[in-house]
Amino acid sequence: MDGFVVKTVSLLAILGVLSGYDLVLEDREREETLAQLSAQVEAMEGYIQDSQKAAAGGVREDGEDGLYGDGEWEGKAQGFGGEIVLKVTVKEGVIADISIISAAKEDEAYLSMAETMLPAIMEAQSAEVDTVTGATFSSTGIKNAAAQALEKAER
Amino acid sequence: MASQKRKMHQYLRAAIQIYFFIFFSHTFTAAFGGVKYIASQVGAGEKIEWTAFVALLAGLCGFTIVFGRFFCGFACAFGSLGDGLHALYRWICKKCRKKPVRFPEKLCGGLSSVKYLVLAAIVAFCFFGVYASMRGSSPWDVFSMLHAGDLRLRGYIPGLVSLVLILAGMCVQERFFCRFLCPMGAVFSLLPVLPFFSLRRDRGACLAKCSGCTRKCPSDISLPEDGSCETPGDCFQCQKCIHICPRENIHCGWQEIRGNGVVFTLLRAGLLLGLYIWMGA
Repeated sequence: MDGFVVKTVSLLAILGVLSGYDLVLEDREREETLAQLSAQVEAMEGYIQDSQKAAAGGVREDGEDGLYGDGEWEGKAQGFGGEIVLKVTVKEGVIADISIISAAKEDEAYLSMAETMLPAIMEAQSAEVDTVTGATFSSTGIKNAAAQALEKAER
Repeated sequence: MASQKRKMHQYLRAAIQIYFFIFFSHTFTAAFGGVKYIASQVGAGEKIEWTAFVALLAGLCGFTIVFGRFFCGFACAFGSLGDGLHALYRWICKKCRKKPVRFPEKLCGGLSSVKYLVLAAIVAFCFFGVYASMRGSSPWDVFSMLHAGDLRLRGYIPGLVSLVLILAGMCVQERFFCRFLCPMGAVFSLLPVLPFFSLRRDRGACLAKCSGCTRKCPSDISLPEDGSCETPGDCFQCQKCIHICPRENIHCGWQEIRGNGVVFTLLRAGLLLGLYIWMGA
């Protein structure tokens, strides 16, 4: 009887702590996005002013060349059970999209965990991102495949 | 007649174990991946998202709270591997007319706590972010690679060595890994299992001085009395005690169900399968 009660209480306590932890972070995240958005608005206002000045002065800045050449680039690497093939789309020198073309031999659960790396790669504009704990094989595959594709895309 | 029935139950269990071994060999690592994921996220101060690993972990824990460690006894690929090896070892001993070696019972009792240390260590490593640099040391990784037919084991020597040691332990002692070392088993045995489907006995109705069920049990459990809320955390739901009892004195907390019926077993296996498909495992 006692054992059951103790176990139930500890389980509830763990669940409570974890969901409380998540709630706090969610709150923080919301504040951060707000701050980011307002920073973006400020930056855009500044940009508009600058371009108005530039237009008045008749000077135009050239767009900075991105790291990568435009186009669609494919990369391959060994995942857990087989090869992972993915496609990187580069538009105007930046990585605009990454999609997995084939990963037939990967387990669904692991692949879906490893797929969380795709937005991270786009954000970093590089394949040098952390792999996902617990899904090391699939995520290393994705990382290496992206690195290969970006190597082709580099100019 | 009774032995025929016992044989049928053994075959049914073996069939379910082989099915899950072939088609769902990765679920135990994926579910434990959920534990590692939560520990690393909290350690890094990141949010815990509802990922496939977390979903599977929650699903299996929920299933265990209701039905006990049925997953361990029937669906875990590593547990089934151990059962297979142990059966093979016993068969060889029988053919060679040698007495199989066993661990002394006292030692087993002590070793049972080691799994909690394993769990605590892995959780700590994930929390402090050093787990990722220990790649190659997990025997489960090596097992998953071998199961997937991947033989590029260079860099996995520590994992391979511990896997071989574990396999040797599995031969000698039934459920060696599950009982002594499994960190997922440690999580399961810390869960409060509801009393409806976990096993009970009416000690008053036993044969005098009979301890058949405890001796047959891979975890040496003395089952709790009828009406008790206590749940032995190391019970894998292997059902061997139900078969061995000469008085048919062992049953679920909900006494109309014995716990080894074909329909009830298939129902639990089916539910687990449905859970996997629903979780996208």
